[in-house]
Amino acid sequence: MTYQEFKETVVSITEEMQIADYELYYTEGDSTSVEIYQEEVKGYSVEEDLGVCFRCIIDGRAGYASTENLTAEEARSLVVRALDNAASIESEEETFLHEKGDTYAVCPQDTSPSPTGGELIESALALQKKMYQADPRVSDGTQAMMLYGRQKYALCNSKGLDLEDVISLARCYGMPLVSEGGEMYDGFESKKGRLQDFDLDAIAGKAVEDAVSTIGADSVPSGKYTVVFSNKAMATLLQTYASVFSAEQAQKGMSLLAGKEGERIAAPSVTIVDDPRYEGSYVMRTFDGEGVAAYAKNVVEDGVLVTLLHNLKTAAKAGVKSTGNASKSSYDAVVGISPFTFYIKAGQCPVASGETCRGLEDMLALAGEGVYITELSGLHAGANPITGDFSLSSKGFLISEGRKGAPVKNFTVSGNFFTLLLEIE
Amino acid sequence: MLSRELIKEALKKALATGADYGEIFAEHTRSKTINSISGKTEKIGDSVISGVGIRIFKGNRCVSGSASSLERSSVLACAARVADALSGTAQITDIVLRERLFGDIHPIKIVPVSVENSYKIDFMREMSLGAKEYSSEISQVRGSYAEVDHKILIATSDGLLAQDRQIRSRVSVSAIASREGENQTGSASPGARRGLELFELLDPRALGEKAAAQAVTMLHAGYIKAGNMPVAIENGFGGVIFHEACGHSLEASCVALGQSQFAGKLGTQIANPKVTAIDDGTIPNAWGSINIDDEGTPAQRNVLIEKGILKTYMIDKLNGRRMGMASTGNSRRQSYQFEPTSRMTNTYIAAGEDRDEDIIASIEYGLYAKSMGGGSVNPVTGQFNFAVNEGYIIRNGKICEPVRGASLIGKGSEILMDIDMVGRNVDRAQGMCGASSGSIPTDVGQPLIRVSSITVGGR
Repeated sequence: MTYQEFKETVVSITEEMQIADYELYYTEGDSTSVEIYQEEVKGYSVEEDLGVCFRCIIDGRAGYASTENLTAEEARSLVVRALDNAASIESEEETFLHEKGDTYAVCPQDTSPSPTGGELIESALALQKKMYQADPRVSDGTQAMMLYGRQKYALCNSKGLDLEDVISLARCYGMPLVSEGGEMYDGFESKKGRLQDFDLDAIAGKAVEDAVSTIGADSVPSGKYTVVFSNKAMATLLQTYASVFSAEQAQKGMSLLAGKEGERIAAPSVTIVDDPRYEGSYVMRTFDGEGVAAYAKNVVEDGVLVTLLHNLKTAAKAGVKSTGNASKSSYDAVVGISPFTFYIKAGQCPVASGETCRGLEDMLALAGEGVYITELSGLHAGANPITGDFSLSSKGFLISEGRKGAPVKNFTVSGNFFTLLLEIE
Repeated sequence: MLSRELIKEALKKALATGADYGEIFAEHTRSKTINSISGKTEKIGDSVISGVGIRIFKGNRCVSGSASSLERSSVLACAARVADALSGTAQITDIVLRERLFGDIHPIKIVPVSVENSYKIDFMREMSLGAKEYSSEISQVRGSYAEVDHKILIATSDGLLAQDRQIRSRVSVSAIASREGENQTGSASPGARRGLELFELLDPRALGEKAAAQAVTMLHAGYIKAGNMPVAIENGFGGVIFHEACGHSLEASCVALGQSQFAGKLGTQIANPKVTAIDDGTIPNAWGSINIDDEGTPAQRNVLIEKGILKTYMIDKLNGRRMGMASTGNSRRQSYQFEPTSRMTNTYIAAGEDRDEDIIASIEYGLYAKSMGGGSVNPVTGQFNFAVNEGYIIRNGKICEPVRGASLIGKGSEILMDIDMVGRNVDRAQGMCGASSGSIPTDVGQPLIRVSSITVGGR
């Protein structure tokens, strides 16, 4: 049956079983992807997915069940399983459903037609070719990928909420392999947005540069260095530590930021923003995983922690309003907390007023001697959000005499995220 | 899951535009996860996944499609979308399906889905208590339980029709120790291809105590000073280094495209003669075991490295075509939504002849890595970096004080040569391995080993 029919079936079962508080969360999507190896299409894939999650609240306790099988029989099983699970919850904190009354943003819909499979193949082949052309050392093993997908998120509940977001997005990946002196070096560059906006020359160039720049790279001797993080490297670090800003983690004693609202947790130059409709992310969301209106907010302002990220449950416990950060990592996931587009706001130019700002060059000049880190890896294992400690395999460049120097790789950057925030210059 | 008529019709449709091979993978999976904090049940996830993945090959080219439905119309529409990507005339028009029964070498005594939540929750409560009561420094305890009941059907244009039901259960406990605004963590997370009889093999209190002991030990440890030194890596999860730094490079998905440090090295010495490494999907009831892989090939025991010599790779059908080699029963996928590729099952370094005490005694100054954390590796270059969750300094052949912040940094091809002592007691540990075909259960393992010299990162 269709989702609409399934939804009506579930609603009639809740009436029959006298379940007053419930929510249905539904996602459906389709995507096409193409993968190039040598100068040919290696793989082509077309996918369609859907899934629905039923959540009921019984005496403040949430019970979940989800399915991909939209049949009348399954609808009944879904409700019965969720009820049974709600009865097993022991946590004393109350869970709520969101009421009507928020004002939701209206996102401009991308009205351009979806790219065809042929267009995706053509542009992936072109990217592959451009990577081979970018440097004679680019060799087989190099791969280009192009994806286009559309995803719909819908949420309705017994309080009368009925919301829907649709996102469509193309992604492109350049993964060149460069061989020199019997050794192989890999590079990576990706972009997301609209297929027609991709600058394939620039993507190919950056991807190959990423691989070539590490040729001959050495490690650095152990020691304490002044470090400049590239925006990409810092973004991966912030992403890894995003959970320390979750009120849920804080309330459970798993974030060292617990109770630090209003206190200085970072250098005065640091402002961290969470924006569900950040321009350029192409993922525009109007509501969160519980149907609360999503909005942009400063989480850290001039070094001071303004707020943790909340959902309805943590907000009620803390006596504040939800920040609209309830999240579901997939339709069948239980509600958690996470940011949307989470970023450190661009700061002031490091040079004295009156001169032209040259961004990175100025920063390297100020650093004098040190290490410029362009990539961090192993974040799922080498970074612990509970302690803040990290020890990560890195690559980048030496900074000598205020300029980008020799490439360095396979060295470990160790530190603590909380200390690092305070020591940003 | 699907009728024979529907399977044949869908295969024919998928093959209509000239593919030389077609495959249907259908799945119905029930899974449940329970999470607790401070011994109280916090969240329960309960899901049903069902759908179909269809692949066709033409030479080395693969077209795939998937749909979240097992209904006739959806399956046929998926087959048609896949066929649309090629433009030729049908090469295979007659498909005779012959059902094969492989049997089940992983018996299940208690099917988890048939047991009420309270039984599972009682076990988790005991784990939490074991951790909480270990020390007053334990500030928080998280518990989790996961069960999966995964039914699969595979049919191919070669006529194969096979099914399997894979049931797995796992528990996990994680403890946080706190002192003066500092946190340290410890954990334990055993699992198996078993039903709830897993609980009979485990002592929940002891699991909690193990996690807590690790957290408390590390809370009182100082930071290690970085440098090159010999390292003794303990059995069990210590095998994660082989898995990450060597195992992934031996997967055909990497080798077939020339992206592996071990491509073209069959029959040559790639490891110290002390090293024999095996990938074995047939170990009864082991976490990473299967009866058949996700292309329908029966699981095998594959000796990857024998006394230092590279013997075989782990191969799936598609990459096998590119390499001119047969499948080794290693094709795996998380679900119908992922395209399968060559992956590990239970991968371990086999037992050697050195005694554990001799290995420790042989080290004048070095690191004893009792418990490894996760890490990362670049399969192209083989460079890796692993966190040591629980480490101790070895001084004059004796294990001394605990140290935190240690990581092991090296290169797969180099560490394989530098494993110069191999102990006798193999132990395996469970993990979820993530790669292009999704997240799948795998075991890692080894006996205690000595690496003669490796870069230890510290502070």
